[in-house]
Amino acid sequence: MNTVEFTNVSKKFRRGRKLLLKEALIDIFKPQSSEWFYALKDINFGISRGDAVAIIGPNGSGKSTILKLIADVIFADKGKVKAMGRVAPLIELAAGFHPELTGRENIYLNGVILGLSREEIDRKYNDIVEFSELGDFIDTPVKHYSSGMYMRLGFSVAVHTDPEILLVDEILAVGDSNFQKKSFSKMKGFKKNGVTIVFVSHNLEAVEKFCNRAIYLRDGRIVADGNTTEVIRKYMRDFNINIKAEIGKKSFKIA
Amino acid sequence: MKKYWNYKEIISELVKREIKARYKQSALGYAWVLLVPLINLGVLSIVFSYFVRIPTGDIPYPIFLFAALVPWTFTANAISYATSSLLSNSNLITKIGLPREVFPISSVVTRFIDFSLSFLVLIVLILIFGLKLQMIFIYLVPIVLVHVIFVLGVSFILSAINVFYRDVENVLGVFLTLWMYLTPVIYPLNIIPSAFSRIIVCNPMVGIIDAYRKVLLFNSPPDLKLFGYSTASSVLIVILGFFYFKRKSRYFADVI
Repeated sequence: MNTVEFTNVSKKFRRGRKLLLKEALIDIFKPQSSEWFYALKDINFGISRGDAVAIIGPNGSGKSTILKLIADVIFADKGKVKAMGRVAPLIELAAGFHPELTGRENIYLNGVILGLSREEIDRKYNDIVEFSELGDFIDTPVKHYSSGMYMRLGFSVAVHTDPEILLVDEILAVGDSNFQKKSFSKMKGFKKNGVTIVFVSHNLEAVEKFCNRAIYLRDGRIVADGNTTEVIRKYMRDFNINIKAEIGKKSFKIA
Repeated sequence: MKKYWNYKEIISELVKREIKARYKQSALGYAWVLLVPLINLGVLSIVFSYFVRIPTGDIPYPIFLFAALVPWTFTANAISYATSSLLSNSNLITKIGLPREVFPISSVVTRFIDFSLSFLVLIVLILIFGLKLQMIFIYLVPIVLVHVIFVLGVSFILSAINVFYRDVENVLGVFLTLWMYLTPVIYPLNIIPSAFSRIIVCNPMVGIIDAYRKVLLFNSPPDLKLFGYSTASSVLIVILGFFYFKRKSRYFADVI
């Protein structure tokens, strides 16, 4: 049984923005006239429960688009995206924080936004505070927090939402090395408990250590999908070939 | 299996955030909710009872004005905050897949709380002026309900359009001012020449404001035709507005 399933998924975005009234009006009469580009094209994959899957690829290859589709932030133009269960996006922590509110107030605000009930937050409140290592600062408005404290609190709320699907976007750079270690072991705990993890990172070392499968994207299409080590090897090979090609062109010009 | 969202708790947390955060770093704090309409009332009362006289029969002008100004202020504030609510929560909209309608709804709820407070002041003033309040017990709930439904409907439509064309936000201030002058807020409905009144009453706020006045000041029920029209058009607007919002909300995170 797949917890995440993409069937023939395409997602297009408009290149640039309509700024002039003239263009907007033309757009009404000729809806097809503006330029679109495909962030994802005919993507098919399924992720079964408890898998930790890395999505790798160069910038702009569609990695974050996949995470946003799973999180219901954006919607596919074609095809179907299925995500079963509570999704916790560790995408940008503290997105819902309000600077004037205290840490405590923000825990409730963010918790509810991530799909917890007040009652659940009441129950988990102490764990969240303890994990964030904020101590007495919890009753201080978060605008006085350092950026590390801010991120720690955001991470702590997000990982306490009992996710069934965890979306991780370059998150292990949160806090000091001690907190990073703690976050990493928290993620390992999730993995052990059967939480499905989708991991987007340029840190191939972390990917290899953590994920049992990798999907390699380029220009919105899947290039490779399978065993993490093999997919990473292919990605690195392609990457090196590209660099060599560039060097080749340049030396040609010089010659 | 679709994700389950607890609308009531999300909206209540967003409203709390709004209220707690709004007047931090301000000396008078939440008192501003009452001060602004009172200042408005003071200025408009002086202008229209001494400089330009507006005939209001037995009812003193300030109270005649306040009975319409308080509900109008709710209309204007709620619509203007709701319209920008999606843009001001863009960080949430582009990161978390929560249902987008919670943002305009919580803006309207926040302004409704302000409205309730100033409404209490209005009631106290009416009692001080010695007017009778009997009809209020029968009609207040339906009038407020229609009013809120209308404001919600307009908020859904304008907030959704504003994501794609931010011109809405810019033109809204002027639009709301003009709209107030075209609604009998500072003057009574019956001074409009009959040639214009046919057009004027197309505006659903006319029936709503008139109903508040009839019930609060004249101890009489709302005009059946006028308020009936407001009710029907408000229900239509909120239904159309909600479906329009839902259809457009799929693309909010693409463009915001």
